[in-house]
Amino acid sequence: MSQELFVQSLISGLTQGSVYALIGLGFTIIYSVTAIINFAQGEFVMLGGMLFYVLAISLGMPLVPAVLISIAAAALVGAMLYLLAIRPARGGSVVSLIIITIGAAILIRGIAGWRWGAYPVAPPFFSGDDSISFLGASIHPQALWIVGSTVVVAVLLHLFLSHTMLGKALKACATNRLGAGLVGINPRSMALISFCLAGALGALGGVVLSPLSTMTYDRGAMLGLKGFVAASVGGFRSIMATVAGGIMLGVVENLTVAVNWGPFTSQYKEAIALTILLLILLIRSGKLSEQERAA
Amino acid sequence: MVLRAKDRWPYLFTAGLILIIILIPFHWFLGVKISLFTLVGISTMITLGLCLLMGYTGQVSLGQAAFYGIGAYVSAILSATYDVNPWLAMAIAATITGAFAYFIGYPIFRLRGNYLAMATLGLGIIIWILFKELDQYTGGPDGIGGIPNLSIGGFSFDTSMKRYYLVWFFCLAILLASQNIVGSRVGRALRAIHGGEAAAQATGINTAQFKVKIFVLSAVYASLAGSLYAHVVRQVSPGSFDFLESVVIVTMAVIGGLASIWGAIFGASTILILKNELLVGLGEIETILYGLILVLVMIFMPKGLFVSLKELYEAWRLRYARRGDKP
Amino acid sequence: MTNCILEVKDVSRAFGGVVALNRVGMSIETGKITAIIGPNGAGKTTLFNLVAGVYPVSSGEIRFRGTPLDNIPVHKRTTIGIARTFQNVLLFENMTVLENAMTGQHARSRYGFFEAALRLPKAHREEETISLKAMKYLNLVGLGMYAQQNALDLPLGQQKLLTIARALATEPQLLMLDEPGAGLNTLEKRDLADLVRRIRDMGITILLVEHDMDLVMGLAEWVIVLDSGQKIAEGTAAEIQRNQRVIAAYLGEEEEVE
Repeated sequence: MSQELFVQSLISGLTQGSVYALIGLGFTIIYSVTAIINFAQGEFVMLGGMLFYVLAISLGMPLVPAVLISIAAAALVGAMLYLLAIRPARGGSVVSLIIITIGAAILIRGIAGWRWGAYPVAPPFFSGDDSISFLGASIHPQALWIVGSTVVVAVLLHLFLSHTMLGKALKACATNRLGAGLVGINPRSMALISFCLAGALGALGGVVLSPLSTMTYDRGAMLGLKGFVAASVGGFRSIMATVAGGIMLGVVENLTVAVNWGPFTSQYKEAIALTILLLILLIRSGKLSEQERAA
Repeated sequence: MVLRAKDRWPYLFTAGLILIIILIPFHWFLGVKISLFTLVGISTMITLGLCLLMGYTGQVSLGQAAFYGIGAYVSAILSATYDVNPWLAMAIAATITGAFAYFIGYPIFRLRGNYLAMATLGLGIIIWILFKELDQYTGGPDGIGGIPNLSIGGFSFDTSMKRYYLVWFFCLAILLASQNIVGSRVGRALRAIHGGEAAAQATGINTAQFKVKIFVLSAVYASLAGSLYAHVVRQVSPGSFDFLESVVIVTMAVIGGLASIWGAIFGASTILILKNELLVGLGEIETILYGLILVLVMIFMPKGLFVSLKELYEAWRLRYARRGDKP
Repeated sequence: MTNCILEVKDVSRAFGGVVALNRVGMSIETGKITAIIGPNGAGKTTLFNLVAGVYPVSSGEIRFRGTPLDNIPVHKRTTIGIARTFQNVLLFENMTVLENAMTGQHARSRYGFFEAALRLPKAHREEETISLKAMKYLNLVGLGMYAQQNALDLPLGQQKLLTIARALATEPQLLMLDEPGAGLNTLEKRDLADLVRRIRDMGITILLVEHDMDLVMGLAEWVIVLDSGQKIAEGTAAEIQRNQRVIAAYLGEEEEVE
């Protein structure tokens, strides 16, 4: 592998990995507050990208409001998901919650496909299309936006959770749901907030990613799985570990594809990511199962 | 032992259902399409496997379409490309699928709940990618055509009616076998695992082993269904075995009532009639409807539509009977 | 000691940094009713779980009829003759009363998927034995008439009896009862004591953890007292009632409660 290819793969990995990290943060927040794995998490990303396209291109809205509205809309969808599907089924078994969030996922995907069709859409770049060259590789300005927004969001999220009342309440819920209830924190509002946040985080991922890699209505499931990989590295507990997990996945994925030999070619890129998913799950199975039983 | 009325009616129900299944291909009976109900038979087989795994044993699989696909592709490749006898191909497919499920079963069933769901989901997509990308064997996105008919001696299953009876012969065989399993020592062990693993182990049940075994069984059901699909439709392509197909199988099981053997037929026919008769040409409306069904049924009838309707009917009958008792 | 069915030698168990059991040793005599008592957090349930194989010992050894239990998984321990009930009942909610009891016979029967699917004669024969035995144990605990009911429709007292029937159906040599009296009224407790004696008379050794002192003192032939993960006394009920350390341990607990 040439040095340029290596650097280029690292850069692509870092970029895509940042998006996986954003998706993973959504999983982490919902799981730590409610012990639910939201199988519809990837659909928020798809929604973010599609809405951004519709607002910015079809409706000709300026960049900033288009971005903000897309993210807010996805947060609203997150809230609706919780209020209309999760809360009415509270006390349901793990299996029924899995089926409910899967159902919600394909519902969202179906509506997107029905409204916006099956063609890939490309929303506008945030700041032009002129790549910067770096160590023989080229960096697209949108990639900087992607990495930058992930870093900013991760830091903000960390500050929010450790320095604001609301953030501390969320954290309290994550540590001990019953205890949090006893000191006057309403676990249901916290769950609602976690779904909103997850929706917003996913949508942000979709908004920054889509200009670079386009978006189609059916990409949610795969993106969701990759975010899940990121979150499972951190055991669905830690923000930093989730970010690290996402970036690791992105880099490994792109480096293996760069090998371009045997099964390590771009046609198997997704399969490689999923194999990593299986490996992580199996390696961590003991610990994850214990968590599952405790939850 | 004299059968009470309550015990007798399942037998009547089964007999009635078999009669309906036998009569369906005759156009004067219900006037429905043979090909549609052939597919119902095939889907029932896959759904049944998932019901045993998810409904009775409480273990999620979001990758059943992979086993269905392996069955279909192995049959297609062996019989169309290498001229292997289709029955032998079917047996080889079932063996390969079963062995595959067995080897991944032990590691994968160390996971529970959400993680198990994610792992099976990932596995299903990996297999689907292989169907798409291993094009020198699978024909890539176009798939494989020219799959021969099944035949016994000189008798070829070359009309849709013959194929219908062939499929339903298999389907009823595994329906009855599954019903026997559910009511047996094995079935109790499976339900005990669903009821609580700690208690199941304390009664001497090797929970890990039973989970893998029922996983293998469900995979073999799906593989047989896949082989039949290959020989009935006579061409296979990756689109029939993707993630969405796995979700459709879950939807069928959910409509059928997860822990219900005969509900599988109900679930499979509901979805396939929706898909092939009522929603033709409406594209993504179909997906939207599946999503709605999954969410609504799981919120309001976590035991599944068929089972909940049955319970409602029984409650109504009980009330009716009580009122009738009054002088 | 040949008449000891269960020997616990120097057993410790820690969870993270917390030591739940600290070098506990005891011998459970065959054919007797032995009770383990102790204040909350004394390590009683931990000991049960160690014997049942829910988790491994940190150090020490447990022997059942002379064989070390080290690497034997839970379900195999049932096969070799250890049965238990749970503090929190844990019935199979999706089954009838009879099916719950029949599940107990799992380890005593053999037929599998193949015989079941085809309803082979072997399955038939075994199934008949299974249901006869399950009925026998249901009748023993007095639930025979509820056989066809859903297990969860029973009141708590009868649910607990059903878990005993289910455990008995595994045909154990050692039956471990985890707080069988909790949640029962006086009358039900008297019946329970009767039942436990009858089970003992069938030749089954009983090991029970119980909070209700009246029940323990009236029933147990040997009492072992744990406190903060250590054995502080053992003896007959009368001896234990006079033991100063035991009294101190329990008084200490009451002070904490107040």
